[in-house]
Amino acid sequence: MKSPRLNLAISIAKTAGALSKALGRGSGETLPGRVLLALCPNAIELLSQSRVVILVSGTNGKTSTTKELVSQVRIVGTVVTSASGSNLTRGVAGALMQDSVFAVLEVDELHLPTVVAATKPAVVLLLNLTRDQLHRMHEVKRVASRWHQMCLEADPVTLFVADVDDPFVNYAITGAASAVRVSFGGAAGGRHPDGAVCPSCGRYLDWDNGSYHCDCGLSNEYADHRFDGGSAGYRNFVLASVAADLVGVHNAMSNIALRSDYRGMERATEKNFAGVKVRVRLTKNPASWSEALAGVTGNNVILVLNAREVDGIDTSWIWDVSYASLAGKRVVVTGERGADLAYRLHVEGVESTLVDTFDEAIEVFGIGSVEVLAAYTAFFGLVNR
Amino acid sequence: MKIIRIHNELLGTYGDRGNGDVLAYRAGLAGISTQVIDISYRDAIPHDGDIYFLGGAEDAAQILSCNALSGGALHGAVEKGAVVLAICAGFQILGKSYFANGQEQRGLGLLNMVTVPGPDRYVGDIKIHSDLLGIDLTGFENHGGKTILGAGTQSFGSVKVGSGNGDGGVDGAISGNIFGTYLHGPVLARNPEFADLLLSRAHGAPVKVSDPLADSYAELRREVVK
Repeated sequence: MKSPRLNLAISIAKTAGALSKALGRGSGETLPGRVLLALCPNAIELLSQSRVVILVSGTNGKTSTTKELVSQVRIVGTVVTSASGSNLTRGVAGALMQDSVFAVLEVDELHLPTVVAATKPAVVLLLNLTRDQLHRMHEVKRVASRWHQMCLEADPVTLFVADVDDPFVNYAITGAASAVRVSFGGAAGGRHPDGAVCPSCGRYLDWDNGSYHCDCGLSNEYADHRFDGGSAGYRNFVLASVAADLVGVHNAMSNIALRSDYRGMERATEKNFAGVKVRVRLTKNPASWSEALAGVTGNNVILVLNAREVDGIDTSWIWDVSYASLAGKRVVVTGERGADLAYRLHVEGVESTLVDTFDEAIEVFGIGSVEVLAAYTAFFGLVNR
Repeated sequence: MKIIRIHNELLGTYGDRGNGDVLAYRAGLAGISTQVIDISYRDAIPHDGDIYFLGGAEDAAQILSCNALSGGALHGAVEKGAVVLAICAGFQILGKSYFANGQEQRGLGLLNMVTVPGPDRYVGDIKIHSDLLGIDLTGFENHGGKTILGAGTQSFGSVKVGSGNGDGGVDGAISGNIFGTYLHGPVLARNPEFADLLLSRAHGAPVKVSDPLADSYAELRREVVK
């Protein structure tokens, strides 16, 4: 039963969102949540009490995994979910304003402890932790330590589903009362890109074919479910299916085998710009750049680099990605920090054309199809055009 | 020319591996053949390198790397006149002591300085003026340490934007062929003049590389960081 005060706060928040949308002041997605939290600071807690909450967090794949999970859970009951990419507390509050049986929400890594405490979720799906937005996160270990503390403090009914091939995620859940450990036989690429040190004890972590075993006991040898390896999209699909199974989607696990070639989860969108067919992929940190570059199949490529707050304001990490696979392709670089990327490619022997705007980049090609790898803010700019 | 990149899996958190790539690339343009050798934590450090690179790291990684270097391999190379470029955490471990995991740790003692925890974390663009090069250098800093230079230790530059060693006064340290700084970026990508200085020191003769794209990128960064 919602209190009259909460009901009033929700209707004001909804009106504010509708007004904002009508006046063209934004998409109306984050404002209602912000208004709701201002009027009723414990709205998230109150609105979570009567439903099954599933949270999804991790550096990469939050949005696509959340979408996949929604599509699976929807079979057994009504679902509310976050607006695409809206993963701070205001996004969570906004999503919870509608009634439902389930809430499937993506949550920012640093906001996750707060949201776990407020929602007492049934399941928390922890995908991965790699370097991202270091000006904000500072260190991967720092995020893992916060998650570890969060797991220690979480309600015992909360089940943490984790990819233990990622030592940071595995360390986080060592504090959890209940956890479901999933392994894909080892980290992709033979080792976690930032996993040279055991996040639990600080010893050097030796990797063997994607697996690790620290003297302190942290290891990916112990798993409740084992699957074959695959792309990041495949891993996240499997993790979503494990989470779905835990909340009562009975065929979720058996469907994994049926869809073992699953590829449909990467954050990509197709559009036309001035007669050029464009496929845009989101690339926001070393791990997602490497994954996206491996998926480039054509000869025409546009790379867009920005460095706003959500992109990460430091671009140094672009030197930790190899762009050698682009050699011989027609590469155009743009974005607010395009010059950084053009010089980085140059040093790796990949020559590119540097232009000021995305429209100029499209003009370089004029016709045909182009694959675009775009930083966070650039990706949303292009998708919403 | 042997370029030794030390413990990049530990000291590679902030993209500093690019310094080795830039140096090798520019050396190639100058007709100097190079070999970039990645030395992992489990490997012995070669004594015969011409340039050694140390980059930025998280606390636990910084401690592991420093302990692995305490055997003296780097000291030996420095005595032979090798060039060292150390960034951020890699810079801190060259001092007498530094802080990591909330505790004071013993450093390598190659530079007369100590690093203590600062009041805040310093995160953002940084610009310094180098008297040695006679130009401004730009980069990005992201650290919580405050480095105090001992008597007679020369700084690398005076800070124009940002924090540097922690008080907004100076950044880094120089001693002989050892260069320490808080500038990521990587620093040699954003400041080709500095790359050429290191190349000249290692080569034993002046090296001046022509690469217009590098120059225009460096100039752009100098314009926007203010």
